[in-house]
Amino acid sequence: MTEIAIQTEGLTKRFGDFTAVEDLSLEVRDGTVVSLLGPNGAGKTTTVRMLATLLRPDAGHARVGGCDVVTDGPRVRELISLTGQFAALDKNLTARENLILMARLRGRNLRAGRRLADQLIDRFDIGEFRDRLVKNLSGGEKRRVDLAAGLIDVPQVLVLDEPTTGLDPRSRQVVWSTIRQLVQDGVTLLLTTQYLEEADALADRVILIDRGTEVASGTPAQLKGQVGEQRVDVIAADSAAFTALCDLLWERFEVTPAPEQRTISIPAPDEAADLARIAAFVDESQISVDEVALRRPTLDDAFLALTGHTAHEQTPETEEAAV
Amino acid sequence: MTATTTIAARPVRLPSRSMGFVRDTILLTGRSLRAIPRVPERLLDVTIQPIIFILLFLYVFGSAIHVPGVSYKNYMFPGIIAQSLAFGVIGAGVATSNDMTEGVIDRFRSMPIGRLSIISGQVMGQFCEQVLGMVIVVVFGLLLGWSPQLSFAHGVELVGLMVLGMLAFTWAGVLFGMLVRSPDAMQGVGFIVILPLTFLAGTFVPIAGMDAVPRAIAQWDPISTLVAAARALTTPGVHSGGSWPLAHPELAMALWCVLLMAICVPLALRRFNRTLAA
Repeated sequence: MTEIAIQTEGLTKRFGDFTAVEDLSLEVRDGTVVSLLGPNGAGKTTTVRMLATLLRPDAGHARVGGCDVVTDGPRVRELISLTGQFAALDKNLTARENLILMARLRGRNLRAGRRLADQLIDRFDIGEFRDRLVKNLSGGEKRRVDLAAGLIDVPQVLVLDEPTTGLDPRSRQVVWSTIRQLVQDGVTLLLTTQYLEEADALADRVILIDRGTEVASGTPAQLKGQVGEQRVDVIAADSAAFTALCDLLWERFEVTPAPEQRTISIPAPDEAADLARIAAFVDESQISVDEVALRRPTLDDAFLALTGHTAHEQTPETEEAAV
Repeated sequence: MTATTTIAARPVRLPSRSMGFVRDTILLTGRSLRAIPRVPERLLDVTIQPIIFILLFLYVFGSAIHVPGVSYKNYMFPGIIAQSLAFGVIGAGVATSNDMTEGVIDRFRSMPIGRLSIISGQVMGQFCEQVLGMVIVVVFGLLLGWSPQLSFAHGVELVGLMVLGMLAFTWAGVLFGMLVRSPDAMQGVGFIVILPLTFLAGTFVPIAGMDAVPRAIAQWDPISTLVAAARALTTPGVHSGGSWPLAHPELAMALWCVLLMAICVPLALRRFNRTLAA
């Protein structure tokens, strides 16, 4: 279990003048889930495309299962399965036909391919739309078929590039539970995401990247520790209420007031329990408030804490445009 | 030093390379062909143009064109066939350009299948589409009263040349389809290049009657060679000449096609390995 599934050293990729990935060194151990977390244009997609042998690195090395992605491409392709940001399916085939095609390209005969496709259809809950053309499926439906297509053979290393971007909350839950199932089965997973929440929910280790380089890494807990904890924000209805609330709350809690926003922040390590306690306390005081809400650290908070600037100050969409 | 560890029962596939190539190519060709009934407008791209030209030249311009020794109908159809052949570049290019922007090609490229079979599947699929389009055009021509005079040997030769021609133009189209930025660009550039070439040739009128400059161009225009080859085999009594390719049209056409493939096939393979489908 200590083998290394993915290893990169000094990995670099440029598109003209734009450096998408710069000197990136990362390591994913067998059987673990590592999340590459970063905003749009951070170099996530470029990185995983290099790992999947779809792009050639300009400098540095990357190995998957010990095989170099440049010199040993065919072996790497046997070990890795990439499910990209955009549905990698034939839009003129039905969901089922796509799965059968992928199974057959992975060496199954027609009968075995059909059987495997039907198993995947059951497992990913595709039955309802299995005979619809992919071009007529919704985003969430496509994503499920796409995930299934990436799991024809359980790969040694599964790479999911922003598996839930653009999905509605329900579809996101479905994808998450599928991913959790895979992880339980022991798949090594590299997951890119823009959502801190997603990395937190799924990953053992998070690598925060920005402008193609690593900014921080660690377990989700460590990373959140660096970023700041979740907190409860109490927003007063007016400035008089704000003053009254401050007077009331500071005796009981560790408050951080922000007068301009009429907001009082209170650390909430116990999340919902703290929220309930604070909400009840505020309610009893009968001071009028606009909102009492639990705030989790967001990617923006993480960036602000670790890089000194927010994720949205980035040159937007450069990565997608360049790729 | 492969990290073979916990993952259970991962079927390892070790077919011989060449068998795998043939099998994967067939599977991927099948994938392309299935798109035909589902996106019939793609076939329309290949057939609507020739049909419009047939109607236009047969019933509008044709009435004013007189070619000695042969009816205009029989004179024109070999030209239409050669023109459709050339338009195949655009059809294959647009379809390839479309396909390359689809994520599915990335999926194939990241799978343990030969990359050569992905591109040959693409070419075979396009080729079949071209053949189907050509059959429709020929049948349409026969229905309108085109009467080619073919001996069996000439028939075989014609089919052989057409197959070679379609393969060459499909490869060229697949290459251009990967080079352009979008299907629209392919369509646009294709028409700017191919359409004038098909008119500056012996497609619809005899080259001999043209002005000096267009005549010189037409004599060496590869499309004139295609037309002359089709005409030499189907329409006895019409001889073009004036340049070496037109004096030996069948051989010249075969050489053109081989040359085109010798250039396009390696470039297409190279391009495909580097292509950056989004």
